[in-house]
Amino acid sequence: MNKSVLIGMGAAVALLAGCSSVERSRDLADPNVPGVTLAQQVCSNCHGMDGNTISPAFPQLAGQQPSYIVNQLTNFRAEQRTDPAGYRYMWGLSRHLTDAQIADIADYYSKQTPKRPRGPSPDATTLAAGKQLYTQGDAQTNVLACVTCHGPSAQGMAHFPRLAYQHSDYIVKQLDIFQNTEGRPGTPMAAVTHPLTAQQKASVAAYLQNFPE
Amino acid sequence: MNRLVDSHVPLFRKILIFASLLCVWVATLLPQSAMAVPTFARQTGQNCVACHTGGQFPELTPYGRMFKLTGYTIGERTNPLSAMVVVSAASVADTTKGESTDPVTGNPYSTGNSNSQFSMNGQPVVATASLFVAGKISDRFGGFVQITHDPYASANTDGSYSGHTVADNIDIRYADRLISDNRDLVYGFSLNNNPSVSDPWNTAASWTQYVPVASPTSHQFTDGAAPYPGFGLDAGGGGGQVAGLTAYMFLNKTYYGEVGLYRTASNEFRALREGTDDAAITVLDGYAPYWRLAYNRELGAGNIMVGATGMFAKVYDGASDPTDSNSFHQVRTTGLDAQYQYILDPHTFTAQFAYFRQDINYSPNSVAAGNTSVDTLIDNVTPVPALSGSDTTNTARLKLAYTYMAKVGGSLSLFNVNGTSSANRITAGYSGGEQTGQVSGNVTGSPSTSGITYEAFYVPIQNLRLGVQYTAYSQYNGSSSNYDGNGRNASDNNTVLLYAWLAF
Repeated sequence: MNKSVLIGMGAAVALLAGCSSVERSRDLADPNVPGVTLAQQVCSNCHGMDGNTISPAFPQLAGQQPSYIVNQLTNFRAEQRTDPAGYRYMWGLSRHLTDAQIADIADYYSKQTPKRPRGPSPDATTLAAGKQLYTQGDAQTNVLACVTCHGPSAQGMAHFPRLAYQHSDYIVKQLDIFQNTEGRPGTPMAAVTHPLTAQQKASVAAYLQNFPE
Repeated sequence: MNRLVDSHVPLFRKILIFASLLCVWVATLLPQSAMAVPTFARQTGQNCVACHTGGQFPELTPYGRMFKLTGYTIGERTNPLSAMVVVSAASVADTTKGESTDPVTGNPYSTGNSNSQFSMNGQPVVATASLFVAGKISDRFGGFVQITHDPYASANTDGSYSGHTVADNIDIRYADRLISDNRDLVYGFSLNNNPSVSDPWNTAASWTQYVPVASPTSHQFTDGAAPYPGFGLDAGGGGGQVAGLTAYMFLNKTYYGEVGLYRTASNEFRALREGTDDAAITVLDGYAPYWRLAYNRELGAGNIMVGATGMFAKVYDGASDPTDSNSFHQVRTTGLDAQYQYILDPHTFTAQFAYFRQDINYSPNSVAAGNTSVDTLIDNVTPVPALSGSDTTNTARLKLAYTYMAKVGGSLSLFNVNGTSSANRITAGYSGGEQTGQVSGNVTGSPSTSGITYEAFYVPIQNLRLGVQYTAYSQYNGSSSNYDGNGRNASDNNTVLLYAWLAF
């Protein structure tokens, strides 16, 4: 056996045996890794270290209702959320998370301070229409007022998510999924979104991203 | 690893084609949500689009970059084997003026028919096949090892081709990530065999090449001597075939820095260039320093990077005696690159730019030996001038790409090579009373090559890409017309390339 083979074998043994620790681990199948560690080492890559995201491709999690995060991660893990972004990104990452890790991750992000995403401000008319829809709904088209479940500060409540400062692009896409697909089952949103027009979706999403202080 | 299939190419090719078709068939039967994709996707359970921009491998998304920089350790350890096969068919505009000798090995074609070079023109071929051993090893160790088989590595005197299997890109990492209130520091080390293969941006020299790409100087008309930035170390095999250790850090997802040293892949580092004959490896004098800096910033759905890189290497000429201090040339490379990505479903747009300047100081021995390609210039009278001691080459690439719903897309890639004209670059003229030249000929001594590649692609399932490319040259080896002195024009090398790229 030559020297290089011996060195290679020695290195392989060292890599496999001596270098594992849950501290700062990114192992998604190790139940011993704390959820906070996974939030910081893995989830933060897209959702931000403090749960605030720059890219609208990924939802803000800062200040999110912990029950909602637990609910969604559990749904991803059970492969019940079948919207494309859900299964492409989240099924695999959540597949072996334990309930305790999920609870830790939810707790971590719910305690972060949400920040309004950067971006150009929508025009006043759009914001006013969004506010009207959020707070009052639209009796003529049977659109319910969002405030009923999501709260006067759009802070959410238990399984109802916080919406304030959420990316408008993300909100519109989720409303589309509720309205047109069965990708997110188990919520009343399919019925709620049924009468919404594209303009209404855009205006309420713009209002929520730019929610007043 | 030694040569696997010498003299058995036809059979091997049939097996590969059959295997490829079988895999395509199996792949099309899989539901799209299936995770039966290469190792990294199995490891994270995610779809290709998580790490690859618009699903277009190998270009990385911001998350893909973090996956790489954290040592391929996100997820869980899984089956580390994956494979990639590229089946292609290329058609070169003019096949009447080929070479009389194999441009890869220098062997004469047996038939004496100069068109032998184009014997595979228009025919479907398995252009390349790779095996990957990759993924998470432990919490802080991970790796990416590519072993590539080139079925058309060299032409035999009987007109057949010999394949060759080599260690391609190798990147084995240790990475850690330190997080505090105001600091997010990823740092690590990479043992690799190719300068910049450890880089997370695809404007780095190792990743700029959008595989596959048309090239008139390889037997299957892909890859080969396509004009891409590089560090001047490639000995002809895959990867850089040298041994390097780099240290890197990425602070707050903003500042990236990497430094490293490269040496000859000999003795205990032999595995990094396995498959390449001892006489053909890149032999460096001492250690060659490599550096890389980049600034990265997210801008809403987009992100931007501007960077610079460089390397200085003393490379021995061919298989010359590495104890002869007059037989190495010095290569100093400096590069600037920039990238903008916009990623928001259903749109993905990328703009990439890379510019490399390479200064080479030829070895005293090679300068003294004079031009070994030709004796006289194209007039068959004038002797080739004395060689110069140095040359400069500038290589620039600009690529724009768009993908819709990670399904269909296209790209536009402009390339331009220019630099000093010198007798060192003259490869066409008269040698032994016979005219040389044709495809790889250069009668002017100028490296100027420029053109554009148009591409359209379709991704029916996430691990299969079907594409068509058209590469048009406005200049080749110094001229737009008669660049080889034997009537071959730059546009004669224009190539249509169809390909199917499968990863499984």
